[in-house]
This record gives sequence, C-alpha cells and structure tokens, in this order.
Amino acid sequence: MDRAIRRVGVAVIVLVLVLVAQLTYLQVIDADHLANDPRNTRGALRDANRPRGPIVTADGVVVASSAEVNDGTDFKYQRQYPNGPLFSQVVGYQSFVIGNSGLEKTYNDALVGRDTALQLKNLPDLVSGKDGTGTVVLSLRDDLQRAAAEGLGFQRGSVVALDVRTGAVLAMYSNPAYDNQPLADHDTKTVQDYFRGLVANPDKPDLPRAYREFYPPGSTFKTVTASVALELGIATPDAPSYPVLRELDLPQTDNTLQNFGGKSCGGTLAQSFTVSCNTTFGQLGLDLGDMFVPGMNRFGIGAVPPIDLSPGAVASIGPRPGSFTDNQPLFAFAGIGQGDVATTPLQMAMVAAGIANGGVLMKPHVASEIRDASGDLVRRIAPGEWRTAMSPGTAQAVAAMMVTVVESPNGTGTAARIPGVTVAGKTGTAQADGGDPHAWFIGFAPAEAPQIAVAVLVERGGSIGSEATGGRVAAPIAARVLRKALGL
Amino acid sequence: MNATSRRRNVELRLGLVAVAITTFGYVLVQLAEKPKLPADLWLFLAGMIILYVVAHYAIRRLAPLADPVLLPIVAFLNGIGFVTISRLDRDLARSQAGWTAAGVAMFVVTLIVVRRVRTLERYRYTFLFLGLIAVVLPLLPGIGKTINGARLWVGIGPINFQPGEAAKVLLVIFFAAYLVDKRELLSSGGRRLGRLLLPDPKHLGPLLLAWAVSIVIMVRQKDLGSALLFFALFSSMLYVATERAAYLLFGLVLFLGGAMISYRLFDHVQTRVSTWIDPWSVAQDKGFQIVQSMFAFGTGGFTGTGLGLGNPQQIPNAATDFVFSAIGEELGLIGTVAVLAGILLLVGCGYRIAVQATRPFSKLFAAGLTTIIGIQSFVIIGGVTRVIPLTGVTLPFVSYGGSSLVANFGIAALLLRISDDNARAAMPGRASAAASAVHG
Repeated sequence: MDRAIRRVGVAVIVLVLVLVAQLTYLQVIDADHLANDPRNTRGALRDANRPRGPIVTADGVVVASSAEVNDGTDFKYQRQYPNGPLFSQVVGYQSFVIGNSGLEKTYNDALVGRDTALQLKNLPDLVSGKDGTGTVVLSLRDDLQRAAAEGLGFQRGSVVALDVRTGAVLAMYSNPAYDNQPLADHDTKTVQDYFRGLVANPDKPDLPRAYREFYPPGSTFKTVTASVALELGIATPDAPSYPVLRELDLPQTDNTLQNFGGKSCGGTLAQSFTVSCNTTFGQLGLDLGDMFVPGMNRFGIGAVPPIDLSPGAVASIGPRPGSFTDNQPLFAFAGIGQGDVATTPLQMAMVAAGIANGGVLMKPHVASEIRDASGDLVRRIAPGEWRTAMSPGTAQAVAAMMVTVVESPNGTGTAARIPGVTVAGKTGTAQADGGDPHAWFIGFAPAEAPQIAVAVLVERGGSIGSEATGGRVAAPIAARVLRKALGL
Repeated sequence: MNATSRRRNVELRLGLVAVAITTFGYVLVQLAEKPKLPADLWLFLAGMIILYVVAHYAIRRLAPLADPVLLPIVAFLNGIGFVTISRLDRDLARSQAGWTAAGVAMFVVTLIVVRRVRTLERYRYTFLFLGLIAVVLPLLPGIGKTINGARLWVGIGPINFQPGEAAKVLLVIFFAAYLVDKRELLSSGGRRLGRLLLPDPKHLGPLLLAWAVSIVIMVRQKDLGSALLFFALFSSMLYVATERAAYLLFGLVLFLGGAMISYRLFDHVQTRVSTWIDPWSVAQDKGFQIVQSMFAFGTGGFTGTGLGLGNPQQIPNAATDFVFSAIGEELGLIGTVAVLAGILLLVGCGYRIAVQATRPFSKLFAAGLTTIIGIQSFVIIGGVTRVIPLTGVTLPFVSYGGSSLVANFGIAALLLRISDDNARAAMPGRASAAASAVHG
C-alpha cells in the first residue's frame, strides 16, 4: 500500500503546483490587468479613504476638493465640486460606484500622491507624516469657462478655446452639462439613480459634446480645403479665378451643389473664401480628389486627439481614403464641410490654432501643472507638437483670408470683430439631416501675433433656429470669449 | 521518554510561532481600522494560547509519541483563517472563535475516546449506517434546510450544522475497514486488458456504492463539491488498498459519465461550467463571485495590499468559500503560497503517518483522512482561482464554518492517534507484539 500512498501524495503535490502556477499567473503575470479592469472598483474604493488633492483653475478657482466627513458611511472623505456643471465635463468625477472619469481619472495618481515625481519630492516629508497629495492646476480659466457658458446661454452647443502655441485648453464647455456632485456621493443608490437619469435623458447632458460628439463642420471646413489646396499648389489666393455660379454641376449624379441662399459667387480663392462661396470650394474638393483625405489627416482628422482626459476625445471623420473614383460628389461636399465630413468642436479649434501657429497643431491638454500640498511645483505638463498640417507660408496665406472674413465689410464673420484687435475667423452654417442648421465659428486673435484660438458650435441654430447662420449665432459668442481671453 | 518530551517541546515552540503569527496579523487588522491597539487584545491572546496549550497538553497526556508538526500547522492555518475572517466580519470572527473552541474540544474528546484505532475498525457497519444517515439527513423534511442553494444543512433549534462534514469521516472509517477485509479479493484475479488487470465485476460493488452516494449528493443536495470530494476520496482509497490503477481508471470513467449526465440534466451544473469557461461575459451576475475573486488576486499581486487595507469584502461569501481569495488580496502571492505550503505540509504529515503505520487499517484510514484534506483544499482553491469549475466546499481549518472546523479537528486528532500508535509499535519491546498483531 505504501507505494500507492506515495503516488497519491505525489499527485497532491502536482495539484498544489498547478495551483501555485495559476496563482502566479493571477497575482504576478496578469495582476496589473486584473487590478485595473474597469469593473474592479477596488482602486476607487481605496482612494475614497485617502486624502485627495484639489483641482484648481489657471486663475485660482477650486473646482474639486476633498473634505473630511463623518456621514455614517465607511468613507472618510467626500469629494466636492463647488462649480458642478461648469467644469464637470473636464473634471469628471470620483465615484467608487461607477468608477472615476475625466481628469479625476487621468490624474488620479497625482491627486492621491502616488505620482512618481510627487513621491520623490515628498520623500523628506515621509517621516513627518505631512499631506502627500498633489494639486492639479488646470490650463482652463474660470473666467473664460464662464464667458463660454454665458455666451451659449440656453442654447445647446460647445465652446473650445486653445492657447495656439502650447495646445493648452483655456475653455471647454458644452451645453447641457451635468452636475458631477451626485456622482461622487457616498450613497450607492443616489449615484445610480442620478446616473440612470443622465443616461436616459434625451438631451444627453452626460455627453461632453466639445470633444466626444462630431457634427458636419460646414463652411468652417473651407479653412482645411483652402489649406490643402494651397499647400499642394492647386491654387493660390489670387489664381485661378473660379467661375461665378449659382450652382455647381456634380459628376456621377443629377444633383448640384448650391450656394448659400441661392446666390451667385466665384472669383479667386481669396474672394470665394471671404464670402464663403460653395461652388468654388466644391470644385476644389473635386480638384483635390484622392489627395484631399491625406490632407485632412495632416490636420488630425481620422485620428484621436491625444488629450489628457478619460474617456478621451473621439476622432473626427472624413471620406474613405481612395474613394474618389467611386464617389466624386462626396468630395465636392467634403470641400464645403458636408457629406462624409464630421468634426468635433475640439478638432475645429485645433484647426484654427494650427493655422495661427504656423501650421503646427499642438497636443491639447487640460492640465498644466502638478503641485504638491504646499503649492510647490512638481512638474509641468510640457507642450508637444501633434501634427504639421502645412508650411508656415501656407498658414499665413490662410490666416490672411480668415482676417477678411471678419474684417472686410462683405465678410460673413463681421459679428466676431473686437475693437482694437484684428480677428481671423471663418463661419459655418452646416446642414444636418432633418432640422435646422448647426451654426459654427472658428477663429483666432490677435491675427498679427496669435494667442487664442476658438471654436464655437451652436446646435440646430440655437435660439433663432432655421434663420441661423454661423455669422449671426456663433460669431458673437466667439468674440465674447476672445475678448475675455485677451483681457479686454 | 526523552524522545517524547523533545517531540512535545518542538510542538509547543512551533505552536507558539503559529500563535505569534496569528496575533501579529490580528493586531495589524485592528490597527488598519483604528490607530490604537484593541482593548480586548490580551483577552484574545490569552484565549489563543489557552486553546493551543489545551490541545498540546491533550497530546502530551493522550498521544505523547505523536508527530510534533501536525498541530502547529493546524494552528497556523486556523490562525490565518481567523485573522482573515476577523478582518471581514466581526460577528463571524466571534462565532469562529467559539467554533474553534468546539473544535479543540472535539480534538481532545476524540483523543480520549479513541484510545486505539483498532476499536473503530470493529464497528465498521455502525459507522456506515451513521455515515449514510448523515448524508441523507439534510434531505429529510422538517430538519433539512437549504442555504445558498444547497441542501446541506440540518437545523435543530437555533443550531445549524452540515452532517456531511461528519459523514466524510464516518464513511472513511467504514471504507478503510471494508477494503482491508476485501483487498485480497479486489486485487487478485480478473481479466487482463493489455497492461491493465481488470478486476472481477462482482468486486466493483463498493465503488458503485460510492458512485451512487456521490450522485445522490450531487442531484438531491446540489452540492457538486462534496460529490467530487466523496468520489475522489473513495477511488483513491480503493487504489491505495489494491495498488491497482485499473480502479482509478474505472473510477475516472464513472465520474466523467456521472458528470456528463448531470451536466445534461441540471441547470446548476451547466451554469457552473459556463461561468468557469467564460466568467467575463456574466461578470455582473452569475460570474460576479469568480470575477471578484480574480480581481482580489490581481489587486493583491505579489505582496498583497496589507492586512485590513484591501477590499476583500467585495467578494460575496469571502469568509467561507472565498476565504483564500481574501488572503490573496491582502497577503498577496506570499500569503497564498504560505497557506498552500501549510496545506502541503499537513498533507505530507498525514501521508507520512499512513506510510509509517504498521496495521493495514491504520494505513488506509490515515491515507483516507489525509486525502479528504488534500482534495477538499484543491477543490475549493482550484475553484476560486478558476482552475476548475467553482464548487462550494470549505478550505480545511481556514474557512469560516463550524461543522467543517469541528470535523477537521476530529481528523487531526485521529491522525495524531495513528501517529502515536506507529511510534509505540516502533519502540523496542512493544514492536514484536504489534508486528505479530499485524501479520498474525
């Protein structure tokens, strides 16, 4: 019997070794993956019992902070969002029920003090037991965010303002917005009820439209069409002269591409740009053909902008590469920002910023600095180049045409003028299936030495509906934000 | 008697190490919650030491030559389990402390009552009868109870217990005695099929009986884990008794057949298998437990979050079926491997006692008892780590559970009794008497 007993013993040893192997897999090899699974709320639970640093705007307004509470739950700290909806789409929320979101997620380590640079800096304080949390300083400014929200008023839409040289987001707001406070509640039911309400709301207040929703950009996209055409040498601002037309005959179809309001227009690229002449830009779309899509890609269309938010920005889209032969009319429509083109307000702000920045698009970011609990700088979020869309010469030519849109008497964007400052811009009135058009304005100022770029989108014409144009509805909001940004 | 006292002193010292580990863990759990030592710490420590010293003293008096390592390992496993339970649920910890005391009482009583293992062999059919009653008891209307979907419980007044835990031990006694009687018959004769010597079909009766018992448990009580445990236990005992691999093979075929039939017939078996294969798609409902268990292991990583610093309460039934996952979260791979090492040492101890035994009954009995602990540990740890489909059985000495704890302390006492017998038989002067009893 002894031999059999020993064999059974060996069998048990083998089984235990199988268990050790599986445990090694679960606890070492696959451990990070399991620990960071979004359905694993342990990380959020653990952080809910730790002090957590505040989130502060560039102009010093606290938009998130933690307070010690004794509310009968197991949690020692309550996250507070004094500005609620104004910053919720950037700040996100700290929730142990549905997980963290937004900046609370991407800078979680810095906020709780787990950030490597922060830990190194706090090393000497380890013994004294000082607060090791980090403060996240936003690049967003409270005054600009308010200007954006007030500019939109009750209208649904988005405003994005960027620092053209660094890619820092100075304002990013969309209406409607949700309140992040209930989502950070300690009561599971409160969180779930509010969250279900948000998801069920047809107005989608939980959707950060500025970077996670795309719309046809309409004529604001003519900045891209013009840039690509100039860069490829298909046209210059002054030549050739495009025929004056009421409508453009399209190949492969009986449909035509019409000018806004049934007017006739044409002439040089510069003249067509100022009055936003559809027939000229439709023709340019056809002329560019299969070169158009790679040109858009150089502006980042088709790629996910690398912003420091979670969930991050969505990619804007254009026509399928190489589809020109099969579907030429779509390229004419793409030339005027319709058809298969759909962009986020963030993407269009980046287009304006890229033109203002000599053709280079910077990586967008909403945080600018991490500071320690005593306010000392730990690290700066360094600006980085994302894409080069065109040469500085081309950028300057497009910028000059954008100035005429605002500054010349027959331009479509005169409502964006600011006394004493030259503003460059482009309006857009985008047809969207079944309903009033979306009103757009993108631009930057001052035109001579650009600092701020802005994109404004007002859904479905805002308060004036079918009568709306980008020039009437969106341009004044852009002017308001630019004026505030320039301290005027 | 010099050797005796040396053995017992080793046992005492090792046991105090186990008590120290437990106390240290308990203090850490308390400190994680409040930054000062618990007021009842000394009471706790005194209770732990008293329980250990009682068990130790019982061995000193009643089985002085027994193996000195087994009891300290039991204390270590029980201690680490208690620390984990106290971290999860204060009330359960209090009750577990009570059950541990009951377990130690069972341990002492077993050592007192069972002075000779031989005596058990004589009452084999009584134990068979008691064992079968224990198996079917939960099915009886009035006293049988269903808790967490399995009909394993008997409730009399305020006390609920699982007679299945006792049935395991009772049936092992019967099987060891029966197989020792019949092993000549079972290991001889039969037909040859290639290299395998097939036993005569008429001797397969006991195996078929075991199979039937397993199926009854599986079907009527919805207790897959116990069914698997019973069947593996009896197959391996048959193998040990006869040294014929054909029985293992035959047992495996029977088991797979039974498993397949029950998979076809019963929803709960299908659910267990499908959540084992893919828990992620049902992570929010049926797969919730196993997914949370894997999150616990992953979050724990190599070193664990530290006692009291993780969130093992996220796993449902963390104190019973999933106690090992809770250990994995807070003590990491280091902790889980330490527990596995403890189990391996315990099982190694048991099989060594079986090998050293001179009487066939003692050998088979010790091997059977050890196999219970080994297989039960594998079934539950394999279940919570997704090596095999999850079936709810307790982790011996570690999980919360009164019946299980009391039964396992009984097993430990029986193993030590056999170990003491072995040492006596090996002593000069007595050896000849014992040997003649075996071979006579």
